[in-house]
Formats: sequence, structure tokens, C-alpha cells
Amino acid sequence: MRYLPHTDTDRQAMLKTIGINKMTDLFADIPAAFHLPLGSLNIPEALSEVGISRKFNQAASKNEHVLNNACFLGGGTYNHFVPAVVDYIISRGEFLTAYTPYQPEIAQGTLQALFEFQTMVARLTGMDVSNASMYEAATATAEAALMARRVTRRKNVVIAGSVNPRYRAVTDNYLSRLDGSYQQVSMGKFGTDLDKVIAALDGETACVIVQYPDFYGSVYDLAPLRAACDAHGCLMVVAFSDISAFGLITPPGEYGADIVVGSGQALGIPMAYGGPHLGIFTCKQKYLRQMPGRVCGLTEDADGKRGFVLTLSTREQHIRRDKATSNICTNQGLMCTAAATYMTLMGDAGLETIARRSSAGLQALVSQLPSHVKAADGVHYNETVLSFASQQARDAVLAAARERNIFAGIPLERMEKGVEPLHLLVATTEMIEMDDINSLLAVMEVAA
Amino acid sequence: MSASKYSAVSGIQHEEPLVFEHAHEAPESISLPGVVGDVYAGLNTFARKKDAGIPGLSEPETVRHFVRLSQWNHSIETGFYPLGSCTMKYNPRVNEQVARLPGLAFIHPEQPEDSVQGVLALLYELQGWLGEISGLPHVTLQPAAGAHGELAGLMMIRACLDARGDQHRKKVLVPDSAHGTNPASAALCGMHTVELKSGADGRIDLEELKKHLDVDTAALMMTNPNTAGAFESDIKEICQLVHDAGALVYGDGANLNALVGVARPGDMGIDCLHINVHKTFSTPHGGGGPGAGPVAVNETLAPYLPVPRIVKNAETYSLETESDTSVGAMLGVIGQTGVLMRANAYISAFGKNHLHNIAQDAVLNANYMLARLKDAYHVPFKGLCKHECLLTDEYQNKHGVKTLDIAKQLIDLGFHPMTVYFPLIVHGAMLIEPTETESRETLDAFCDALLEIAAQCEAGDTEVLHNAPVRSIRRRLDETKAARNPVLVWP
Repeated sequence: MRYLPHTDTDRQAMLKTIGINKMTDLFADIPAAFHLPLGSLNIPEALSEVGISRKFNQAASKNEHVLNNACFLGGGTYNHFVPAVVDYIISRGEFLTAYTPYQPEIAQGTLQALFEFQTMVARLTGMDVSNASMYEAATATAEAALMARRVTRRKNVVIAGSVNPRYRAVTDNYLSRLDGSYQQVSMGKFGTDLDKVIAALDGETACVIVQYPDFYGSVYDLAPLRAACDAHGCLMVVAFSDISAFGLITPPGEYGADIVVGSGQALGIPMAYGGPHLGIFTCKQKYLRQMPGRVCGLTEDADGKRGFVLTLSTREQHIRRDKATSNICTNQGLMCTAAATYMTLMGDAGLETIARRSSAGLQALVSQLPSHVKAADGVHYNETVLSFASQQARDAVLAAARERNIFAGIPLERMEKGVEPLHLLVATTEMIEMDDINSLLAVMEVAA
Repeated sequence: MSASKYSAVSGIQHEEPLVFEHAHEAPESISLPGVVGDVYAGLNTFARKKDAGIPGLSEPETVRHFVRLSQWNHSIETGFYPLGSCTMKYNPRVNEQVARLPGLAFIHPEQPEDSVQGVLALLYELQGWLGEISGLPHVTLQPAAGAHGELAGLMMIRACLDARGDQHRKKVLVPDSAHGTNPASAALCGMHTVELKSGADGRIDLEELKKHLDVDTAALMMTNPNTAGAFESDIKEICQLVHDAGALVYGDGANLNALVGVARPGDMGIDCLHINVHKTFSTPHGGGGPGAGPVAVNETLAPYLPVPRIVKNAETYSLETESDTSVGAMLGVIGQTGVLMRANAYISAFGKNHLHNIAQDAVLNANYMLARLKDAYHVPFKGLCKHECLLTDEYQNKHGVKTLDIAKQLIDLGFHPMTVYFPLIVHGAMLIEPTETESRETLDAFCDALLEIAAQCEAGDTEVLHNAPVRSIRRRLDETKAARNPVLVWP
């Protein structure tokens, strides 16, 4: 077996050193009844490297992908540009095949990259501090709710109905076995009605969670929410789905958010049918000790040289066990290195260009829609809801678009249970060109 | 003895500033695609007041910056990495190659099902294989890591108990040797933990277990082999006792590498097991993640599996998103698909005919190291170990040398140290897990290094141990300073 270095001669010599006769004797402490007949599992026989390559190539060829389809799908995952350099850096074995940096003297590469990541994410979101990643946006949102409960010592959580339904569902799941209420405030439109959200707050509220830009892509003024949170003594939690927005629009930190969480997948990370992506978790400095997950901090070594270590570990499960701020251990470390590399390549100017072009694509599409397709009201970044007169009309557009290698949008009811099957959630990124928009518009003209 | 017989030598290593310290202004670096035009009407009123302060570097500078950083890391590709309970094995390069195929890496999770049949087939196949390997046939691939799998498993146990009318059962028994994630996950699931004191042999003490099992007990969370590297030989009795008390057995699969193809947790009476594919099935650790923590369960817990689930119809695969009994969604997406692709490839490379070689060679290697080291280092629990062996610094303490000193000296000799100070049930723990992908030559070199350190202690030549490491890019780092005045971002 090509991954195993021993020859049978090696094995025999090693068994002799141990003082036993045969390999199966190594398992003498397992009751005989539980010994499997070797080779008896219902799994195919071993494949060669060529066999593995063939198998995966054949499977991959049965999937359609966005390198030869125009992708207007969003809903939390976006087809942004993945620079070759990012994949190269995270393919390097020194980053790829290292463990969590528990021995900092020989993990300074990972640690400095984490420190740079934390700094850049804090700057982009306008927040004081960032941790070194959560799994993804939905669990990060749930962890934010849990953290707010710890900070405020209150138990009730209010969440806007315009937060991504998947984030709401996972947060519901995380909270449902604990005391306290979880109120989802229905918006009644494809946007965010802050008045309704604010009306749900009271003196028992631990935090309110909104999304900005919201699930439907709409951008709105967060200032009234800050004032309401101050009035009720609760934390203001802001989630986001596409961090690229903050290359252009005022980030949640500038509005005084206490905790900002979301997806960093847009920072050079492939969509990969769900992951691995990157959960972002940032907060105000004063709440740092209630933050979940690992953080990297600055220090110095025995010679006084600058260096980095994982720090504040007394919050974490391996020290605090059942009193830990979270159970998270393995996180998305490599994706932090990817995001740091991506942001370094882009800089402020590149990030702004990405954001402008992502948004310009949507503007170009929406401003030319045929009269039978309506876009949601409000100011949008790079995502919106398009509504059709009938499901038949919508599905005809979806099908005709597929014929022209376009994924035109996500049927909204696929993500948001209970809405009428008349809507498409449509997103644009810098990977959408004017030709793609013209093709989609042409499909809409004729198909419906 | 000189250190020259070991691979660590001083080479060219570069200091590298933070990206924020690079002197010049950001150049025009990257060329970008997309629509050049007006943004959405009204969006400009929300425009940033000032730049974020992300310093852009040119492409060559970016590459050099991160490549230099990479060279400050120890990794499994550069050297031995025997971290106990972490299963740092070789990560095959073909797995990286296939996971990056456009038809796998560049697909959107909300694409129509008819456009993703290939990836669904691979996921479904993996689901079946993990069920077969664990002996627990019903599998969710959704959890993003081991601890996330623990939470999913405990949620299923909670749902099952609630369905039985056992809402009051909220006590989770956890051996004192358990991973810290176990009690943390139980707390997150609204349950409380009671710690079981390990017996004199480091295993679960049946009398201690009986003492704590009662009508309020929801589950026992156990790791088998345990974190002392010992197989819980009373496993059948343990599961019987827990089931008789009306509770369920949760298996922490962190140590599954000792059992792959040799024995199955499901056959032993475990109800639910998470599998760290970033350990057992060789998906790279990435400096902390990503991983994936699929959970395999028996018939009792199957109705409660998270959604979405991948199901096979006559000719096609689809996602089942609704279920009346499911605990719900654990993630906003279907799972860490890219990680799961690599796990599929690792199992494919071994197949039914070689999977047991994983456990056999892993256990052989650990016992070989134990045999070579047992006279020079204190072995707290006698007998065969499984895939990892546990030593302590008791003999070296007499010479003023601690586990930490031993670990840091290993760095100067070119190795990543073993896991230190875990499990918590012995003083000065050193937990060594070699895995199946290391050669005898490497194991011997590491044992030689540890024997040399033990000899230095006996000879009183301990100064060098207290000062180590001196050959790494940084010497011992001040963790107290970092925690007392936390600086997590560059000002």
C-alpha cells in the first residue's frame, strides 16, 4: 500500500522489539467477538492513484460548474474571483499540513498569517477585534447569540426575518435546548423593517440580530438600531453574507455594532458545493473575553523578538471544559490564510473595485428588466429578489437560462420556506460580465 | 552526543515584516473582471467614509511574503508530527488534486440537483462507507468538525430521550480523561456533565460508572481507545450498563484510527459516533482546520439525523430537506464538501483489502515506540497501547526537567513534539501518536532523540533542555504577556 512505508521485514522486526508474534496480537485487548474478519467490509477494493483520478474526474464531469456557466446564485455563497496565488499559498504543505499552532516556536508562519487576517477583518468590518474563524456564517450567528447571552446575562434573542433563513434555522437549533425565547420578527417584504425589529426589543432582550446587507441584498441605515439597543441595554449583532460589500459600503462597526459575524467565503475561497468556507466573528474589545474560538495575539520571545501565540485560551474548551465560551476546537484555519492572502493581493483599491463591479452588475440587470419581471424595492448591493407573474413564467426563465449555460437565480422558496413560488433570489459578482447580463435579459424577454 | 544525526540544521530563514509594515503605497496590482458601470441607485449614500486600511501588495511581493511565512512552520510534509489524539498522517497529494477539479470546487451549493449528481454520488458513497467502517449505518456528513459532530450527536440523543418521555434526563457522564470538547458540547446542548474518575489502569472503572448511572442520566460520552491510548476492554459491559439504565452511549471518534478495518464501535454497543475525517481519513489540518465531523448512528437514533440528508432514488441522488423527527440543520450549507472529497479519496486508496493496514501499522508503530522508550520514561499504564502511547516526565522531574523542556528540545532536534500535558489524568503527560504513514527510520530517530534527552537528564546535562529551542525562528514565547495585555490586531 503506497502510503505505508513498512515492508513485512520491518513489521516482523518491530513485532520482535515489542515482544509479540503477529500483527493481530496487537489487538489482543479487544474482545474476540468484536474482531472483524480482515477485508470483510462492504467497500470496493483499493484504487490506484490513476484509479482515484479517473473516478473523481468522471464524477466531476457529471456536475455543471461556474467556470462554464454564468452564476447568478447567491444566498450566502458567491462566485467571486479566486486568484491563482491564493490557492498556491494554501496548497503549500507548510500551511496545508500543519496542525493548530500549539508549539508557537515552529508555527510562526500560521500565527503571523492569523494575526494579519484578524487585523484585516477587523478593519474591513470596522470592528475592534476578530477571532481566528468559525466554521461558517450560520454557526457564527448562533455563537453570537450565545455570546450576547453571556455578556448581558439575559436569555432572549430577537432576530429579523430578513436574516438568511439558514442562519436563523441554525441559531434556532443552537438556542432551542437552552432557556430563553427566540423571536423571529416577520418583515412582510423583501427587505428589513427596522421599526418592527425595534418594537420587539425589551428589557429582557440579550441581543437583536439583523443582516446587512440583508438576505434579500438590501442596504439600510443601521443607526436607529444602535439607539434602540442602547435604550434596551441589549447587544447589536449584525450578520452578513458577502463580506465584499464592505469594500464599498459603510461597515457595521461604523454603526456601533457590538458583534459582527458572517461569511468570508468571498475572500478568495471556492464555493465547493458548501465548503470549506470561512466563518467571520468580530466584536468590540470590551467583550473580548466572552468571544468564542481561537485568537492569535502578539507577544515576544525569550530574546525579546516579536512573535505570536494563541492566547486567551482560558475561554476555551480544552481549559474550561463545560464552562467554555464554545465547544469549537478545529476551526477553518487554512481559510484564514487564504483570506489574508486574498486581501493582501487586493488592498483597499482592489476590494473597492470588486464591490463596485459586483453591484454594477446588479444595477445593469435590474435597470433593464422586462416589464413582467419586478425587482424588490430598496437599495441593493449585489443581490435582490425578482418576482414573476406565475411560477410557470419563472420556471420557464430558469429552464431557458439553463439552455444558455446560465444559473439565473435561486427559487426563493428553496431557502425561505412558505413563500410563494414566484420569486428568484439573484446575485451578481465581478465574475458576471455584461454579455451574461444581456443573455439573461434576452432569456427573460422570450421565455416568460 | 551532538545533534548532527538529526535532520535539523540551520538554513536560510528570512525575517518578514507584517503586511502592514511594508513601506510603499499599494501599487496597481490585480486586474479584475466584471461590469464597469453605475452601482445601484442610492448605494452611494452608504459609501464608506474612509478606506478600511487593507494594504495591497503587488503579486510577487504577496507570494514572497506568504511563502516566507510558510517557511516558519513545521508541517507533516517537512517532518514527524506525533501529536497524540491528533492523528497527523501524510496527506496524499492526489486528494488535493481531485478536490480542486472545477466540477467539484467550482459548484454553487444551491445549483439545481440535476447539475450536481456527480458530487452527490461521491458524498452518498462516503456516507455509506463511514457507516460500514463504524458499524453504525446511518450517517450525516454535515457537521463541520469533531466538536460540531459531538453537538449534533448529543442533539440526536436529546431528541430520542425526549421522544421516549425522558425529558428529565440531562446528566452526561464523561471520564476525566476525555477531550475538553465533550463537556463543552454537553453544556451547549443544555445538559450537565458529571466526571467519572478513571480507574488505576486509566480505563473506565465499572464501579464508578455504576455509582453515577441513574434515572437522570442521558448519556455516557466515551473515547475508545481512550486518550491514554488504551482500549476500553470492558466496552461490552459498559454499553450494557448504560443501556440498562435507559441512557445512550456517545462515542468520540477522535481515536478511530486504531480500529479502522479491525473492529467497529457499532458492534460494541456504541449508539452514536462522530468521525474526525481530518484525523482518520487524512484530510489536511490546515494549521487549525478545516475539518469535518460526520456522525454515524444506529437505528435508535436514525430518525433524528440532521437535514439535509443525501438520499439515493432509482437512478439519481437528491437532498432530503424535510423531516418531522430531525434535529434540524447544523450548518447553513450541506457540509464541508471539499474536505469530504479528500476523505473519500483516502478510503478509496485503501479499499476493503487494505483498510485494516491503517489500524495495524498505526498500532504497530505506537507499540514499537513504547517498547523502545519504556525503560527511559515512566509509563503510567502498562500493557499494549493502541495507536498512541502515553509517557510521563516522572523520571526526568528528579533532574529538574519537565515535559515542556523535553518538548522544546525535540524542536531543536527537528521534530514536532508529542501532545503535552494531555490527558489530564497523569502528571506531565506526553502522548505520542506516530500514525501509519511514518517509516521505522523516522520512529527510530524520534526515539533516539527522546532517549538522548533522558540520558542528558541522568547526566545532569540539563541546561540545554531548559534553554531550548534555540534553532527555531523564535525561542520560547511569553504566553503570559500575550494573555495579560491582549493585542489581537495591528494598530
